[in-house]
Amino acid sequence: MATSVSPGSSTLKKEKEESFFEKIGGTLARRKKTKEAQEVEAEGKHAIESPTSPTVPDFGPEWYSLAENEERSMLDPSCREDPQLVTLKKILLDWINDELAHLRIIVKDLEEDLFDGQIIQKLFEKLENIKIEVPEVTQTEVGQKQKLHVILEEINHILPNAWNTDKWNVDSIHGKNLVAILHLMIALARHYKAPIRLPSNVKVNMIIVKKQGDVLLPRTIIVELTGKEEQEQGYDSQERDAFDTLVSHAPDKLNVVKTSLINFVNKHLNKVNLEVTDLDTQFHDGVYLVLLMGLLEGYFVPLYNFHLTTTSFEEMQVLPPGESNTKYKVFKNNFKHVKF
Amino acid sequence: MEDIYTWVREGNAFQVRMWLDNTENDLNQGDDHQFSLLHWAAREGRTNICEMLINRGARINATNMGDDTALHLAAAHGNYDTVVLLLHNKANINSVNEHGNTPLHYACFWGYAEIAEHLANNGALVNMANEFGKTPLDHAQPHLAHLLKERAVSLGQDMRKIPFQDRSWLGYQTRSRDATLSKHSGINFEHLHFTTRIMSTKSAELWKGRWQKNDIVAKILNRVCSDRNLRDFKEEYPRLRIFNHPNILPVLGGCMDPKSRSLVIISQWMKFRTLYDVLHGETNIVVDQNQALRFALDIARGMDFLHSLDPMIPRMKLNSKHVMIDEDLAKINIDDPKYQMKAHNGGIVSGIDEDLTAKINMADYTFTFHDVGKEYNPAWLAPEALQRKPEDINQRAADMWSYAVLLWELATREVPFADMSPSETGMKVALEGLRVTIPPGTSAHLSRLIKICMNEDPGKRPKFDMVIPILEKMKAAS
Repeated sequence: MATSVSPGSSTLKKEKEESFFEKIGGTLARRKKTKEAQEVEAEGKHAIESPTSPTVPDFGPEWYSLAENEERSMLDPSCREDPQLVTLKKILLDWINDELAHLRIIVKDLEEDLFDGQIIQKLFEKLENIKIEVPEVTQTEVGQKQKLHVILEEINHILPNAWNTDKWNVDSIHGKNLVAILHLMIALARHYKAPIRLPSNVKVNMIIVKKQGDVLLPRTIIVELTGKEEQEQGYDSQERDAFDTLVSHAPDKLNVVKTSLINFVNKHLNKVNLEVTDLDTQFHDGVYLVLLMGLLEGYFVPLYNFHLTTTSFEEMQVLPPGESNTKYKVFKNNFKHVKF
Repeated sequence: MEDIYTWVREGNAFQVRMWLDNTENDLNQGDDHQFSLLHWAAREGRTNICEMLINRGARINATNMGDDTALHLAAAHGNYDTVVLLLHNKANINSVNEHGNTPLHYACFWGYAEIAEHLANNGALVNMANEFGKTPLDHAQPHLAHLLKERAVSLGQDMRKIPFQDRSWLGYQTRSRDATLSKHSGINFEHLHFTTRIMSTKSAELWKGRWQKNDIVAKILNRVCSDRNLRDFKEEYPRLRIFNHPNILPVLGGCMDPKSRSLVIISQWMKFRTLYDVLHGETNIVVDQNQALRFALDIARGMDFLHSLDPMIPRMKLNSKHVMIDEDLAKINIDDPKYQMKAHNGGIVSGIDEDLTAKINMADYTFTFHDVGKEYNPAWLAPEALQRKPEDINQRAADMWSYAVLLWELATREVPFADMSPSETGMKVALEGLRVTIPPGTSAHLSRLIKICMNEDPGKRPKFDMVIPILEKMKAAS
């Protein structure tokens, strides 16, 4: 709301200030001067801010003047109140603000604050830990679009399967298309495993208007923002959540969990005459983990692939990166079956 | 024309040997009329080439499109030495071609008395009728006919006429191999037709299918391959196309499924599946001691060949799951009465020597990028192979240990360490000295051989060329 509402809010403030001046009295002339000064200030402010809000959010009649067969889409206004959508927006907004807090950036509205690319740039720079070489502030529409283009290019390059996505593009983001902005933010949150839990099954209706033979044909399509998998697939964030919750809410139960984990591990390791007594100190070198993997998955890891007794950190790095990653996943999957 | 058929016909032993040494060449392939190399060598009387081919595993009773065997051609062209050689190598003396003619028919018709006499001496039936009702005696000159008749009577042959029998039930099973199989290494995924999934493990799926009118089995690696993997794959699989040894089952080719980006390895379909399945599975094949020895010998010959390659093919692990069982009709005597029985019953008759043969399946090679650090069958691996890197051990000696476990398996018909998981087995064999135990009642010779091959000191284990003569002796004795 920064741009469209802030002029309103600032005038509101000014009115208050004015009344405040009134109260302390002062001459009419003085009052007039203040008023003039404020008018100039407001004008200047408007002059600065107006080009940053080039597209008119309330669609005037000209918006509907479509060429033959041209299509235009917009969010079904009734959906805006959908509690699911509101939650989704709120969660994303909180996440963005969390990420950007150190830059003292506060985002109030996804549509109004993100379209010019500035916030998206800062967010992406923070997440990917890079610097994108674009002008810090751009006032013109052309400049903003160029900037957005560069930023989206970078993002699409890094997000998997994003290069061919039609979910967002420069025009839709710059046009404050909420659906496009949401798609982009969800994709970023997923890719960077944001510690948030997105509500599942959020769907919105899009109205697509098409002009055909001088008649505007509206049709509604359902756009899926988040799917069922949000809960099933189990993003890292959720699993981290489970342990986080445990640690933060029931530290007293931690030992119970540890014990059941040790029981689970020993049930398998006992087969090869090994036993774990302390999770904290005996798992750090990965040796038991490797053995446990083999026991659970039905293979033997030839002993030259790792060091049975590790003496240095190098020796602990037993597996090639890709391999250790999959093993870690399998390990986690196996833990899913453990009853706490 | 400078091709292998010409060299064989001309008797160019040097060129033939060079050709045979190339692992990609299939010596059992047939030409346009399914004449195998052995057919041509026998027809032209190149006895030395015949001998070379037989030693390399040529199928002695392979037939061409007219159902002629090499013996038919040798007899019809008066090549006495070749006939002697073929008979010595268990060629089927009474095999019948599409007109119902035996080799003796041809020897008599063309008047090769010496050959006819030799055939008769070795049990050729003089009264076998062809499709026109004519016997070899009908074709022979009076003098020769008289001689053969006398000989047959003295050998106790039934002098009644044996009526012509249709052999079409044999179909194409005895024919020379389809040469196209060894000629295409690059397989187009589109040309593969998968029919049924045989099994799926953690590392691969096995599918039965058809390719170029042949039954094939496709091993699909459970892994999305990167460009780098694909490059390694293309570099590695051509070495697995070994067509020139009877106890090696070659990989026909490899390709990538463009959609799922998984790698596919194609080999010939073997209906009896693996040795593991035959020994421990739900097949109705009974493996008697003689057949077990034959398998042992086949595997030893295959391994000996693999060990002769320079450089050796690495990561080719020997165990009973990597050995395929095949029925080689062209190598066996189809006129054996037990086969006639089988033909009528449609089942499998066991206990016929040379019935089933074992082949090391090259498709079970482990690719450099596949299953890294995972050993699904440690029970067959030598303790040193479980502990030390392949480049730090004597691979040939380690293979000999695996062979010893296989011999144990053939002797006991049990799965080694069946009650333990792979991980347990590996740890205990490597670190706690767990070994297979030979149960009492096992043949003394065999248990001694197992012990020798499983020597704890890799340097003291024998080589396969030393094991083969021992097995041959054991087999001759049984």
